[in-house]
Amino acid sequence: MRIIHPRPNPIVAAMYTLSDLNVDVIVVHGPAGCCFMASRMLEEAGVRVVTSGMKEDDLIFGGTAPLVETLKLVEERFHPRTVAVVGTCSSMIIGEDMGAAIRRAGIGCNAFPVDCHGCSGDNTVGAIKALEAACEAGILPADERDRQIRLMTAATDMEKRIGMAGKQYLSPTRGPTKLSAAKRMLDVLRSGGKVACVMLAKKELAFRFADMFLALKQARDALGGEVYTIANLDPGLGLPRIRGYASAILKELEEKGASPDEIVGGLDEYALVGERMKEKADAYAPDLLVLIGIPHAYPELPSDGILITDQPRQLANYLSMGLEAVGEVSSHSMVMGARSIIPLETGDTIRELLG
Amino acid sequence: MRRIAIYGKGGIGKSTTSSNVTAALSEMGLKVMQIGCDPKSDSTRLLLNGREPQTVLDAIRDGGTPSLEDIVAEGYLGSLCVECGGPSPGTGCAGRGIIAAFEILERLGAVDRYSPDVIIYDVLGDVVCGGFAMPIRNGYAEDVFVVTSGERMSLYAAGNIAAAVGNLTGCGYARFGGLIQNSRDVKDEDSKVREVAEELGSEVVSVIPRSVTVQSCEDRGVTVIQGEPRSEQADVYRALARELLKRSGDAEGGLRRR
Repeated sequence: MRIIHPRPNPIVAAMYTLSDLNVDVIVVHGPAGCCFMASRMLEEAGVRVVTSGMKEDDLIFGGTAPLVETLKLVEERFHPRTVAVVGTCSSMIIGEDMGAAIRRAGIGCNAFPVDCHGCSGDNTVGAIKALEAACEAGILPADERDRQIRLMTAATDMEKRIGMAGKQYLSPTRGPTKLSAAKRMLDVLRSGGKVACVMLAKKELAFRFADMFLALKQARDALGGEVYTIANLDPGLGLPRIRGYASAILKELEEKGASPDEIVGGLDEYALVGERMKEKADAYAPDLLVLIGIPHAYPELPSDGILITDQPRQLANYLSMGLEAVGEVSSHSMVMGARSIIPLETGDTIRELLG
Repeated sequence: MRRIAIYGKGGIGKSTTSSNVTAALSEMGLKVMQIGCDPKSDSTRLLLNGREPQTVLDAIRDGGTPSLEDIVAEGYLGSLCVECGGPSPGTGCAGRGIIAAFEILERLGAVDRYSPDVIIYDVLGDVVCGGFAMPIRNGYAEDVFVVTSGERMSLYAAGNIAAAVGNLTGCGYARFGGLIQNSRDVKDEDSKVREVAEELGSEVVSVIPRSVTVQSCEDRGVTVIQGEPRSEQADVYRALARELLKRSGDAEGGLRRR
């Protein structure tokens, strides 16, 4: 199927993966504007992303010179331990030898190239190329590389099967307000019922989705009923930065008395944990099931549950299936660089209703 | 104005043929601009008696803002010589360079300034990427001729170029004008080249015999027209020049046809 809505690209996926690996500086070898939205978000999150700023001259005569200069500047200015040079369409079409440029720059740190470009295929192809390059550069053990590649492949399959990558075109929607969803949760608790909240969060987005646990705890404390929570927050799994996210979120939840009842898998395992989470949720037999994060990673989307996503196109997808869903759109820009849990609109609506 | 592209495998004699045609047309009193589209930048060498003009791409490199005088050199009998230039082998993208060089020539109004009667594009070897097809796209060259010998690889390249032109003809671009046989004394050369021309639905426009005169003039850095004007070989090039004029379209416009 020819899919025509805008989708993430392999270059950006490589950059995010390098960020998860705590690479100190990412050099995008391409035109100044290439991937600039993603670069700015990463910069704001504290990751150094710079561009070699290729120009027409460099397309024609080769872009080694600006890359070498950029690498020297990077060393001088940031004193990094690790630097990754990420390819783009322009540099890769003209066959740039990024490894040779790195050697020519003669910088003292661990610098390595990631040979990817916008036409490489699924965005996860870029992530996998970054993992392979990082492993070769000695900053990622081979077993973790292989684990990550398995997860990426599973995530891609899932998106093609039931996510946005399986639809030709989806227009984004902001969806309904959060009022009706919030009221339904509160009604169940008020009548002494059971609410299960299952979080299948993708990496940093957990900083926002975890607010659902805080809001539901407040609601239960105020109204009664039962709340049961499951989350993919295993702090021992994933790339270094991702483990850090899980630890920080768990610590904050614990401090606020809202630790998840069950932890199933790590923040990078959202595509694989659905089955195990469903077993636990089914055993609990809730009156209302709330799925938050990537709801379609759950094996069966509940016709009478509530789905919460950050993706405006995914939201359109759920609504078109006749499911009750709300969108926490723009969450991604909010969680970049987050160090603590950020309130959800749904969470704030619950708090407002509690008075 | 006539816009003629001359393609062919590397080393087959495109530049020698182009330069002799340019010299012959100039002799007839026509204003000819020869644009070399090859990073080697030696297309117009024989017209400039050893002078090496600044290439268009060198002139704009590092933010340069050249004037036409910097990049259009006057050669034999007032012929106008332009070299696109390009990257060192193994770096960058020569095809993109040709696209950029054409943009510069258009922006500087090269055609308005010099009002040539004929533009000859001398284009590197095979069509290996979109950039090298640039002269036959977007209304630059109207008629495409291919220089070939009877050697297999040369004929193969001719077939590729014809295919590229065929792909683009549907878009209203260039026409395939035919083969120019630059003889290398290959066995049954005439019939081999003729057969390929027929397979391509085209014909052999002219047969240039192998001649020591060509080499001796090249060694002196001149065309046969200039160096041995009364030789038989010079008359062969003059005949080719007339043939190309006869077979090419005459259309208004600038660097591109309107």
